[in-house]
Amino acid sequence: MLSRRQFLTRSLQGASLLTLSSAVPQFIARTAMAAEPGKDNILVVVEMNGGNDGLNTVIPYADELYPKFRSTLRQTKNEVIKINDHIGLNSGMRSFDRLLQRGELAVVQGVGYPNPERSHFESMDVWQSADPQHKATTGWIGRSVNELHNATGGIPVMHIGPTRLPLALQGATGGAISINNQMPYRLELGGGEPDRLKARRKLLEDLAQPAKDDASLANFVYRREVQTLTTLDRLQEVLKGANTGQANNFGPDGRPFGPNALPQRLQLIAQLIQKGFGTRVFYVMRDGFDTHSEQAASHRNLLAEVADGVTSFFETLRQTGHDKRVRLMTFSEFGRRVQENGSKGTDHGAGSCLFVAGPGLKGGAVGEHPSLSDLDAGDLKYHTDFRRVYATLLDNWLGCDSQSVLGGKFEHLDALKKS
Amino acid sequence: MEENSLSLLDPVEAWQPWAPSPKDPWNLKWAGHLYRRAGFGGSPTELNEAVARGLPATLDLLLTGKPSADALEQVLITVGRRAAESGNDLGNRLGEQGFDLRAWWVYAMLNGGCPAHEKMTLFWHNHFATSIAKVRRTTLMFNQNRLIRQHALGKFGPFLFDMSKDAAMIVWLDNNSNLKSHPNENYAREVMELFSLGVGHYTEKDIREAARAFTGWQTNGNDFDFNARFHDDGEKTVLGKTGNWNGEDVLGILLKRPDCAEFLVRKLYRAFVSELQEPPAKLLAPLAETFRKTDYDIGDLIRRMVSSRHFFSAHAFRQRIKSPVEYVLGAVKTVYEGDPSPRPLVQRLEVMGQQLFAPPNVKGWPGGQAWLNTSTVLARVNFAQALVMGGLWNDQSRGENFNAVRFEPPSGPKQPEVKLPEEPAPPENQDVARLVRQAKATRPEEAVRVLIDAFLPGGVGDSARAKLTAFVADGKPAGAALDRRVREAAHAILSMPEYQLA
Repeated sequence: MLSRRQFLTRSLQGASLLTLSSAVPQFIARTAMAAEPGKDNILVVVEMNGGNDGLNTVIPYADELYPKFRSTLRQTKNEVIKINDHIGLNSGMRSFDRLLQRGELAVVQGVGYPNPERSHFESMDVWQSADPQHKATTGWIGRSVNELHNATGGIPVMHIGPTRLPLALQGATGGAISINNQMPYRLELGGGEPDRLKARRKLLEDLAQPAKDDASLANFVYRREVQTLTTLDRLQEVLKGANTGQANNFGPDGRPFGPNALPQRLQLIAQLIQKGFGTRVFYVMRDGFDTHSEQAASHRNLLAEVADGVTSFFETLRQTGHDKRVRLMTFSEFGRRVQENGSKGTDHGAGSCLFVAGPGLKGGAVGEHPSLSDLDAGDLKYHTDFRRVYATLLDNWLGCDSQSVLGGKFEHLDALKKS
Repeated sequence: MEENSLSLLDPVEAWQPWAPSPKDPWNLKWAGHLYRRAGFGGSPTELNEAVARGLPATLDLLLTGKPSADALEQVLITVGRRAAESGNDLGNRLGEQGFDLRAWWVYAMLNGGCPAHEKMTLFWHNHFATSIAKVRRTTLMFNQNRLIRQHALGKFGPFLFDMSKDAAMIVWLDNNSNLKSHPNENYAREVMELFSLGVGHYTEKDIREAARAFTGWQTNGNDFDFNARFHDDGEKTVLGKTGNWNGEDVLGILLKRPDCAEFLVRKLYRAFVSELQEPPAKLLAPLAETFRKTDYDIGDLIRRMVSSRHFFSAHAFRQRIKSPVEYVLGAVKTVYEGDPSPRPLVQRLEVMGQQLFAPPNVKGWPGGQAWLNTSTVLARVNFAQALVMGGLWNDQSRGENFNAVRFEPPSGPKQPEVKLPEEPAPPENQDVARLVRQAKATRPEEAVRVLIDAFLPGGVGDSARAKLTAFVADGKPAGAALDRRVREAAHAILSMPEYQLA
């Protein structure tokens, strides 16, 4: 098993590889290799930022305590999308019924970690670094890149969205890239003779030189610039053909999701997968789950965006058979207090649920719904450490050693294994 | 630099005022450094004047401003209010809301009479990070900005009191629904975690108790409105102190904690000195102690930081990554002589990851290395192109195009690539080639020296200089062709790793 120090040493070695040969950096060399259409399994991670209200996502409709705690927010037996005689999904997630029918949606209940943090940032850091001790400065996906088989030499992990590179993806050898649809991914050099444009592009590359001191900020920037220049042409080619027409663009209340909504970004990922871009892990974030007040409608819409996005994503992939090599998981930094607050919302809590989707897993409920009569200071008690989900996906799906990524051994969840 | 090199410094010595010497003189390098940190960079003229003026007078100019600064501030406030009032009409068109207000703020940052005051206003916006995405009203965002401007270089105590009663903040952190019957902990948590003490310096119980003290602190939609009906005036214990505390009492308790000064000094160190290494507490101790003794005098602290030996050393020089605002404003100041319209800059900032009045969450923009990913690096390079070729202000179609292109579905047969002619020369006052002409530099190495002095005072490596020179010399351009080549070289300099550093 690798120690944390060894992770760091490894990443540093990877980083200095980039800087050693200034003429043809490794990254360029690797990326320039002809890409075979990928055959490796792919993981898509959907971050639900803000602390998703798990109790109104997977609803214990048959529990008589539930309507008592949720006097204004409750959904009734007739409203929920039933999973079994005890629990059902929030009515916003109607499209998930299609995945449930196919046995392609696992609803993992009671997920959490010991001594939960209720600060968004602290708890998000725990989930993304996979380290409740707060010692890791890199993310679990970033670290997994060091272990991943990468047949195409492409960008190993990709973040789709306008925000910062999430902690989960940090620490990747060779870097993780971010793209977004706020701007066309294209180098704009304006007009002029083709020779001049070439000379200008070459000058940009020539000036992106490593500094002498490997740990300097200038070297960090240098690596980002090389990565940007390298990615430009290839990604541009893929994006040209991107088609987001498959996505359902409207929420249950008829409002459009917006141009940067989750369904559109998931469709872009589907395109990248189908074009054999070679990326092993994709990451998208949707925020807005911090529902302290008047949450019923807004929370339902958010869940609809997630469910519609994920369902149409797999439907697109199914048309080309690529769905069989894709797993998707959702997560949020924490759940919310069991008792709703006085403003028809919910405050920060602990213990929640997450979804894992894709063909070949065992669909339906995984684990028991946490008890509503046995609470921990007003919060649900978790029974499944979130790192068990990570470990199962890392070992069984991505084929990389979870122990070296997570710094310890975690028992797998059989329901999430490929059949 | 070694990981622990900061712990080897003598903390007292490090914060002594720096005195230039023949060996390490006050020159363009240090003037540029000071202007980048205490302000948003300086134009070539400003930097040359600063070198002639000397360090003490330059510090005064940056930290207390021009004689006209107060009068100018009044004008800016009047204009800002108008921009805010026009903005509420666009409430339903997300993304557009607040555009005028953003443009106004960019204008203030470029033209305000006191650079450090503008710099600190942005710092505090990121500290008390509040977003229009939830507040939804431009007038409330403007009022908060005005409050920040009032206190930006003042005393932190009164600042924290006023901010806790700010209407935008109350909406942002849900204090209208913090009621005696149902406390909402949002403000109590963030005031400790993010505004004053930092995580780990309080308990969950402190938060629950403090939340009760802030019950009834509401806004009527415009101003602070204490609603005694919803206030819990029972006994609370916060950080070991027990009493019938109200919100002010809790803020007083926070300000008395020694952690508060260290938390703020550490954050300001990252913003003004270096973000490469985490400074040991020992190094910050003298600053934190003075900060406490001066009753949290922010202006005094900033002056100590940016006039110190540590600040004028390799520990600080180019040891921060420029935020988008620093990148854009610095480049504009160098290239554009006069009074540029701020409007085209607003959406450029957004794609670089910094939409003013809309930080991503209550923790603000994470900053540092997080500013740069493959999207935002490209956004900077493309901005540089539009700036030096003049397209930013002179080519409207390009501006619109910039936002209009999404992931398009494939449509029909492939369009052949159209070859565009070179852009015409920008107007003289917006043309970076002007700097080279004014210096009467006609040889490639002279032209490159002028550009480096303007954009990267303090220099670049020999190999980069040689490549730039060869690029300018190629084909021996002269006249308009040399001007064009100079613009192309300026674009490359604005894209260099070194230029991304503040």
